[in-house]
Amino acid sequence: MSQKDFQDHQIRDEIKISYKYTMGGQSKFFIDLMNEKKLQGTKCKKCGKIWMPPRINCSDCYENTDWIELPQSGTIRVSTIVWYTTSDFIQNVPYGVAFIQLDDADTALLQGIFSENLVPSKVKKGQRVRAVFKRKEDREGKMTDFFFVPEDEYESWIEKPEYEGGK
Amino acid sequence: MDKTYFELAYDATKLALTDANENGAEITHKDLESTVYGIYNELFERQFMPDIFTNSYIGMNDKPGTRIASGGATGGYTVRIAFSEVASGLSDLCLCIGLEKCNDCYDEQTGTTTPEVLNAIAYSADMTYEYPMGMMAASSYVSMVNAHYDEFGNPSEEQMALVSVKNHGNAMLNPKAQSPMEITVQDVLNSRIICYPFKMLDCCLYSEASAALILANEQKVKELGVENPIWITGVGAANTDCFIGNRESIGRLYSNINAAKMAYKMAGLDYNKIKEQIDVAELHDAFSGQEVISYEELGFVPFGEGGKWIEEGGPMRDGELPCCPCGGLIGCGHAVGATGIMSTGEAALQLRGDAGKHQCTIEKGRAISHSIGGPGAAYAAVIVMANEEGLKKP
Ligand SMILES: [Zn+2]
Repeated sequence: MSQKDFQDHQIRDEIKISYKYTMGGQSKFFIDLMNEKKLQGTKCKKCGKIWMPPRINCSDCYENTDWIELPQSGTIRVSTIVWYTTSDFIQNVPYGVAFIQLDDADTALLQGIFSENLVPSKVKKGQRVRAVFKRKEDREGKMTDFFFVPEDEYESWIEKPEYEGGK
Repeated sequence: MDKTYFELAYDATKLALTDANENGAEITHKDLESTVYGIYNELFERQFMPDIFTNSYIGMNDKPGTRIASGGATGGYTVRIAFSEVASGLSDLCLCIGLEKCNDCYDEQTGTTTPEVLNAIAYSADMTYEYPMGMMAASSYVSMVNAHYDEFGNPSEEQMALVSVKNHGNAMLNPKAQSPMEITVQDVLNSRIICYPFKMLDCCLYSEASAALILANEQKVKELGVENPIWITGVGAANTDCFIGNRESIGRLYSNINAAKMAYKMAGLDYNKIKEQIDVAELHDAFSGQEVISYEELGFVPFGEGGKWIEEGGPMRDGELPCCPCGGLIGCGHAVGATGIMSTGEAALQLRGDAGKHQCTIEKGRAISHSIGGPGAAYAAVIVMANEEGLKKP
């Protein structure tokens, strides 16, 4: 077929699958987040490593872990500010994301970082941050139930009617 | 593009067969004993198990076919498995093919493809903890670049921009490249911000394409009378922790480091002298900053000196060790499953002296290709190749 004769036929379509999926052994993290605003990590029975996000098994030594409530303050290890993104998140730009190491934890958690003044210098490595939670009626037991703010902005964020301070 | 993924695969297979026949081997697709497929994303293809439908279209029924999916490193990993097919003796002649669509994803809201393509990629992030935070490819890769900068003071935004200038520029000489551009550092710095500090021109464009290689073992190469064959002498791959926050050092990408060391060792080369032992490196420049970091992780220069090395012209086409002379992903486009196979094929063409206008000087007879991918670039694969001369040299 020559290029001249070629006609491109396109079809509109969508792949859509619904889920009701289990968090398995990690369920306690989400339940306690939703009901009690706790950030539950896990500690290996053998090596003592504290995992956040939590794992009920230690991947380093194949041993079980115990739940351990972690402090709600931590330090940014690395971050970025997103200005262009996927169709699901484009309405949120600009937004900050950071790997945050909670005090006592051995690993860092990816979370949203909110700031009144979202500039790279405000969310850089070493910045101290603190968790802010959605109101109880808005929490669903999902990662989006909370986010972090620079420590010096904490009071002003928890004064907003839609958010609450942690424990 | 007005072709389906299996039509793209057919075109690449035909090109590879034509190339084999132009180089002394009289073969058709019927002589190929097995296929290894590199296909990253079902959502791009709008088809699960796209390999089996490709298998039918390219006439490979009733033979073994295996699909590899390793994110952006799919191509490199596919070469690794195709190599093991022929090295193990499971097949004497193996088709190693990568393919990817993506432009068929479409965001009805904005009337453009890009946000929906990015969405289809974003499902590669951990769906429980990381996807809900709006994590995507660029924000994942930029984390290592930012951490690397914090630790080593390098690469700067200007040094990253030099990669974009180099690779878009190299693509000007490659007729197969999809994104040739004559641009300046200032153009890169002025392009729209994607995620700090990556600008649009720091990022490769997703693309659709197919690339194919034909791999044969030593005996088959002799039997077919292949002229100027290129030998795979080293293969290395490593998956580092896909949870960036679990890594002890975010600024050092151990998937790259370990894959490179493994491949060089197998090829009898030295990680600390590798820059002097190879002629060309086809690197995975999905993001400009990532290429600079790779100079260090793959052993070309010490940690912290990648940015300085590009300022001095080291990776330029006429530099100390040309990196991405074909244009790389930034210059050619990133058709995910096909990319690492294109890079490996480009390195092989360089070693054969068949790279055309972007041919580099070949003295040592050795080259590498490099693929990374997945959340936080957790997957990495490095392939070392040599021509007949390169096999003999120390
Ligand atoms: Zn342990």
